[in-house]
Amino acid sequence: MATVAHLRRPQRWDAPFDPEMQDEDVRHLLERPEIAVIDADSFPDSMPLEGILQNDTRLVRFNAGDIVVREGDYGNSAFLILDGELRVFTGDYPQDLLGRETAGKKGILETISQIWTNKRIPEVRDTERYGGQAVRRSGRGGRGERQDAGLRVFVQDIPVILDKYHTAEITEGALFGELAALGRIPRTATIFAKSNATLLEIRWQGLREIRRFDDGFRTMVDNRYRQNALLVHLRETELFANLSEEALDKVASATLFETYGAFDWHVSYQKMRATGKSGAANEPPIAREGEYVDGLLMIRAGFAQVARSYGSGQRTLTYLGARDSFGLKELYQGWKSGQTINMTASLTALGYVDALRVPAAILEENVFPGLDEKVVAHAHPEYGGRTLSDDALLEFAVEERFINATQAMLIDLDKCVRCDDCVRACASTHGGNPRFLRHGKTFDHWMVTNACMHCTDPVCMIGCPTGAIHRSQIGGSVVINDDTCIGCATCANSCPYNNIRMVEIRSADSHILVDPDTGRPILKATKCDLCYTNLGGPACVRACPHDALSRVDFHLDDIAEGEL
Amino acid sequence: MVASRVRLLMIAFAAGIIFYLLLIESENNRTRLGSAAELTGYWLFGMMVFLTLFNLRKKLSMIPLGPANIWLALHSIGGLLALTLYWLHTKTLWPLGVYEQMLAALFYLTVASGIFGHVVQKICPPRLAQSDIEVIFERIPAHVAEIRQKAEEIVLSCSEETREDTLGRHYLDTMSWFFRRPRFFISHMVGSQKGRQWVRQQDATVRRYLNENEKVWLDKLTEQAQFKNRIDLHFALQSIMKSWLLIHLPLTATLMVLAVWHLLVVNVYAL
Repeated sequence: MATVAHLRRPQRWDAPFDPEMQDEDVRHLLERPEIAVIDADSFPDSMPLEGILQNDTRLVRFNAGDIVVREGDYGNSAFLILDGELRVFTGDYPQDLLGRETAGKKGILETISQIWTNKRIPEVRDTERYGGQAVRRSGRGGRGERQDAGLRVFVQDIPVILDKYHTAEITEGALFGELAALGRIPRTATIFAKSNATLLEIRWQGLREIRRFDDGFRTMVDNRYRQNALLVHLRETELFANLSEEALDKVASATLFETYGAFDWHVSYQKMRATGKSGAANEPPIAREGEYVDGLLMIRAGFAQVARSYGSGQRTLTYLGARDSFGLKELYQGWKSGQTINMTASLTALGYVDALRVPAAILEENVFPGLDEKVVAHAHPEYGGRTLSDDALLEFAVEERFINATQAMLIDLDKCVRCDDCVRACASTHGGNPRFLRHGKTFDHWMVTNACMHCTDPVCMIGCPTGAIHRSQIGGSVVINDDTCIGCATCANSCPYNNIRMVEIRSADSHILVDPDTGRPILKATKCDLCYTNLGGPACVRACPHDALSRVDFHLDDIAEGEL
Repeated sequence: MVASRVRLLMIAFAAGIIFYLLLIESENNRTRLGSAAELTGYWLFGMMVFLTLFNLRKKLSMIPLGPANIWLALHSIGGLLALTLYWLHTKTLWPLGVYEQMLAALFYLTVASGIFGHVVQKICPPRLAQSDIEVIFERIPAHVAEIRQKAEEIVLSCSEETREDTLGRHYLDTMSWFFRRPRFFISHMVGSQKGRQWVRQQDATVRRYLNENEKVWLDKLTEQAQFKNRIDLHFALQSIMKSWLLIHLPLTATLMVLAVWHLLVVNVYAL
């Protein structure tokens, strides 16, 4: 007879944002006017407001000069200023203020000098550089008693900064960062503490719940989005491009905001992948085939699979990304024929999807009467005579989430002679250690290697405490600033594709660097940077004598054609 | 695509040079103004230096010296052009002097090893891709050790569960040889299926003496053996793809040293 072991079912708040958050902190927060306006009675017993404050928020103290959020970073939390003054940059400012790599392209002499300056021992660092970085230990805690091991970037000489660059004041009671956190979009501004300040950091799960249960908060967030981004987003959409200002305002006012899946989808995806259960069947559905169509779904962030029942499974027709929409053909045909037409395909979130829903009635009134039918025909994918074999590559790309890639390293195994010239070229360009593994998932005679894919949705950037991992100013590739990386491995653990490696670094005289306090080696995160500072582009591509290695964008059109 | 175009251009360029040299040779013969050997000799030496630079380009991959696939295209066509230049230069397939014979032997061996490498690099990669597994060469010993451990665990588990030692004895007598290290090197190299057939044969040989419970374990053992056979294929083909260069490069280096000496001697004593 089979025996059973017992385990308490894991709960939503088993892992609070800050385990040290006290009941007293929560009581103080509930008394604050910004929190008091939230209708605590509208929250269900299973998800009380107190519980959200206790488990989904934390008190963070910033010292004068500390950068709170950086423009371009991906954040998963919003901030409420409890006391102190913050400033936001409103004009141009130098990137090195943010602790980011400021290196430009190497010159020809610097490139050639690598012949004699490259070290024989890998991962040697000039530790003198680290002394100049604007990173310091952070202070946490509302009562100023608690400290954590985190480090953060700060701006030096605040009076000079205020004098030299345009900034605006943000004061006590202001909430910021919620759109980036809920919409999975990069932060649009850089904010730093002008004076010592205490902030309430609310992680995205808590924000989602407050938005869900409190009408006032939801209206405030939605209105901010409508004011800041929705009109621009709609106007850039082909469907609404020809609408009058008045009609566009009506569409914007009626548009609903929806999210599907988990913001930190990479965590569940890694588990699914490890257990062999990855695939759309285990993902959150957005719309089901055969159901009534009540509105047009427009993807704002993330990816979704469009699939239709086929045999005993679901066959992928295509996948949708930001700015794509779903359900237009059914809605238009229903309006034209006066009949109800159900969904002809299912839409499933691949990880996290942030979507807009434009109600059918609004479209019928404002959009469909003047709509060019070509837009409708273009919007709807079909098999188009493609066989299962033709679509096998598409299914592979969707299942493995390679659709996220903009620069995946693809090796044609029919041409690759396994000479490792690509690996050696990478090593010689990156301090003696390659930044990728010539190994990875294979499909037919193609291999997608373990090299950073410079994702459309770079989940590795979420949670970096110093913003060391960021999009480069040169070409937009995802790169790591070695000077400000603190070796916490957050990015390496977040990457769903295992493409970031932690390495032990050495001093200029080749000794392994060890933290004197812990006795542990100093680690740095490393990954492919597309040789963004080197002349001639990625060394791996240039080094392949057999034309077997390329960097590819897993673009829909190429995959639909069965090509890469 | 670019490499293909470069290859075509290079072929046209090579044909042009050969035509030009033949014209010079013909003119010299007609007017008896002297031999064209000096000119072809310098062309040949220059080409050999250019061919040798390909290896240097590989070592300097941090410098943008052009894509390696273009270099390889130039190297392949340049190698064939060098062969033609060599015949134009010596006007014979096999020279008379001992030193010249050494030079000729080294030259032919270098060209032959290059052609062998070129052919091997065209044939082996698709065969490896068709094996449905991908293995890094340096990790093959670790993979083999891991498979051997699994095979031994299967045999031990079979003995413990079934209380029979038939499979265990067969493993010790015959199959342990196969699991010890990569086997059937030559067969894999020439594309024979001898390894797979050997595994099937061992399966059939012992199966008739096993009961139903033991057969389940034999199936697992055969699965491991077939997997190892595919690792052996990678070992054989990747070994060839790596080792031909170990012949080509030393030959090239020796040839270049002798060619430089030849050039010095000819300039000092013959011109």
